[in-house]
Amino acid sequence: MFDGLREKLRSVREVFGTSIQAASTPPAAEGQGAGAGAAPRTGPGLAERVKILVTDGELVLTEKQIQAPLQELEMVLLENDVALPVTDEILRRVKEDLVGKHRSIGQDPGVVILAALRDAILRVLGEGFDLPGYIRARDRPVKILFTGVNGTGKTTTVAKVGHYLKKLGFSVVIASGDTFRAGALEQIGTHAERLGIKIIQHKAGGDPSAVLFDAVEYAGAHKMDVVLADSAGRFHNRVNLMNQLEKMKRVMKPDLVVYVDEAVAGNDAVVRAEEFEKLVGTDAVILTKADMDMRGGAAISVAHTVGKPIMFLGTGQGYDDLMPFTPDLVVEELLGGAL
Amino acid sequence: MLDKLSSSLKDALKKLAGKAVVDREAVEELVRDLQRALIQADVNVRLVQALSQAVKTRSLDEQPPKGMSVREHVLRIVYQELLRLMGSRAEVALGPQKILLAGLQGSGKTTTTAKLARFFQRKGLKAGVICADTFRPGAYDQLSTLCGRVNVPCYGEPGEKAAEGIVERGLAALATSEVILIDTQGRHALEKDLIDEIIRLNQISKADHRWLIIDAALGQQARDQARRFHEAIGIDGVIVTKMDGTAKGGGALSAVSEIQSGIVFIGSGETIDDLERFDPDSFISRLLGMGDLKSLVERAEEAISTEEMDVQGMLRGKFTLRDMYKQLDAVSRMGPLKQIMSMLPLGGADVPSEAIDVTSAKMARYRVIMDSMTAQELDDPNLIGGSRIHRIAKGSGSSPDEVRELLKYYRLMQRALKGMRGGKFNLQRMMRKFSGM
Ligand SMILES: Nc1nc2c(ncn2[C@@H]2O[C@H](COP(=O)(O)OP(=O)(O)OP(=O)(O)O)[C@@H](O)[C@H]2O)c(=O)[nH]1
Ligand SMILES: Nc1nc2c(ncn2[C@@H]2O[C@H](COP(=O)(O)OP(=O)(O)OP(=O)(O)O)[C@@H](O)[C@H]2O)c(=O)[nH]1
Ligand SMILES: [Mg+2]
Ligand SMILES: [Mg+2]
Repeated sequence: MFDGLREKLRSVREVFGTSIQAASTPPAAEGQGAGAGAAPRTGPGLAERVKILVTDGELVLTEKQIQAPLQELEMVLLENDVALPVTDEILRRVKEDLVGKHRSIGQDPGVVILAALRDAILRVLGEGFDLPGYIRARDRPVKILFTGVNGTGKTTTVAKVGHYLKKLGFSVVIASGDTFRAGALEQIGTHAERLGIKIIQHKAGGDPSAVLFDAVEYAGAHKMDVVLADSAGRFHNRVNLMNQLEKMKRVMKPDLVVYVDEAVAGNDAVVRAEEFEKLVGTDAVILTKADMDMRGGAAISVAHTVGKPIMFLGTGQGYDDLMPFTPDLVVEELLGGAL
Repeated sequence: MLDKLSSSLKDALKKLAGKAVVDREAVEELVRDLQRALIQADVNVRLVQALSQAVKTRSLDEQPPKGMSVREHVLRIVYQELLRLMGSRAEVALGPQKILLAGLQGSGKTTTTAKLARFFQRKGLKAGVICADTFRPGAYDQLSTLCGRVNVPCYGEPGEKAAEGIVERGLAALATSEVILIDTQGRHALEKDLIDEIIRLNQISKADHRWLIIDAALGQQARDQARRFHEAIGIDGVIVTKMDGTAKGGGALSAVSEIQSGIVFIGSGETIDDLERFDPDSFISRLLGMGDLKSLVERAEEAISTEEMDVQGMLRGKFTLRDMYKQLDAVSRMGPLKQIMSMLPLGGADVPSEAIDVTSAKMARYRVIMDSMTAQELDDPNLIGGSRIHRIAKGSGSSPDEVRELLKYYRLMQRALKGMRGGKFNLQRMMRKFSGM
């Protein structure tokens, strides 16, 4: 999914590289002493043009000098759905990392940039989340509640995660926590049946908290490993619906609240992620529909905003289209091979 | 967060507020903030660049119309340019027709199909729907449940694998329906088989319209996705769903500008009646997070003709109850102060929120109280002590506390105005906004 972003980042890196290289190459007109001169340079136009101090084989980058490539990087991030505040943050970090630092002249500018960028994005992405490891370390049943706004892929993701855990040998029960949306019971019921996963359902219109409660009871009585609770999609600005979710959480006492959003969402992704985190809490994030997306900026934005790990990426509508999210690998995919 | 952003746009606009001539630097700053606002609203980055270039050029080249401030001049250009991008809203024929709905997974097609059936039904047309989604579990149950609630017939064949046949048989089964809506499974630009399928469904159904359903939160993807759908089936209308959330719909705007077809409806909730005709003005206002721009421009024009106040005097710190009376009077003709303030991108400078949060009922009350004051008192509020307060209260049928509250409000306003003195804006302009508008 990150193809687009990777492509673009590669070209930005080149721009950065050129800019640094230009900075480290003393202008020909200056002739002698350009590299070694300890004496401050005095040519009036020169200070403007060169904007760099070259001393003893080291160079110091100035802000002005990397301004153009930084702007380019900004464009690339924005075009790839990295939300504006997050873009600002990444740029700040890259800048911090580059400006004013002494770099030895022999150092490949590409490496310098790559390191700065990798560092910035890695810090923003935080750590991944090892779900099987987490489950193994906890008391059973491990209860997981899925939340998110309408249509992001919660129900499908519950099915996928159920399938994934089942393949790893865990016993799973699904709680059909969306009793509201038309067709919701049939949808998740079909998924569970196809996957051979036990499901707890109540009538349409029933209290979702009661469903969750029953599922947890069932899991306890049958010594199941994991309870996966679906919930109806809801917007963070609907107070009563958020209160209902709060109640579901109180009743279920989940070990994990997993917030599901789609990788193709734009700037609103950070707004709602923040609200969900504030109103019901979020322990980990799953981003779906990454197969639509050649960009992947939402991953960076959401991870940064809620400061919670991304657990999986949804990469299609099939049950196997679920990819554990490992920041190192993602960054490797983004920036690796770029050298 | 978005509020912060739109307020930065407001700040930039404030800087323009006092300017008599268009100032390149200020325009550039405004355009930079405009860019950020639009990007944050998910308008395509390339589109934002083109748009801001146009705004810059026009703002500097064109002469502001007489009586219009530089700020209003620039705002109006921004508004016009956005309007141009968006095109007019797509019209809806109220007659027999077949409409094919397409869009990304989870964008809201099925819900919108039912909403549309309801819309046409209310217009007195016989509506019917076909569920051509053969993939999503429960797709037929979802659509037929929604339609069943409003007695719209829903054709579907759960379990059938080929959507083409369903559409053919559905059209035959719904032969007596005047408006037929065809719901399809979610798909995206990279799914070639599914794009091919929608092309076939379009051919088989001979749909009169092909509407693309776009989630208001869709990001930079929107343009490319829309283009692919457009290439495949020729989209002639867009519906933006989930506008009841906090997303701004800039992706949908980019899509519309890319495929040159208007927005037909806005989805604003989960229930079947949550469908609204598209209104470009409120869409743009929301996009920029700045209140109703169109009425701002209209009202700003009226404003210029309203009575002048002793603005110069007020700027010198002479703000009397009489001035406040005029102010409240002007304001009460225009609706709640808060609403007006929020309509002004100027943001009313640093007026404290207590000063703005006055209900119109309260304002009316204040005026009644002031009607019981003497001319002297109105000109010199310092005269009003304990006994006068009681007299005024009695005369206006209010309590002394209410009179005190009014005086407190007056002092708040006076302080706010004083605070503006020596500020960087043009105070005269500001005052006119504040009082006469
Ligand atoms: N392409 C793609 N589609 C997906 C992915 N995950 C889910 N979907 C599709 O997105 C649509 C919505 O998914 P649901 O699982 O119903 O979403 P939800 O969040 O449960 O929706 P509500 O319960 O209505 O709020 C379905 O058509 C899914 O097949 C994914 O990773 N990639
Ligand atoms: N709040 C709100 N929710 C909406 C709106 N339109 C649709 N939804 C919700 O969004 C979710 C997805 O809607 P669907 O109609 O199932 O979407 P779809 O495009 O048919 O999904 P697929 O068929 O899986 O591609 C559901 O939870 C709907 O209730 C809207 O305007 N506002
Ligand atoms: Mg669901
Ligand atoms: Mg559907």
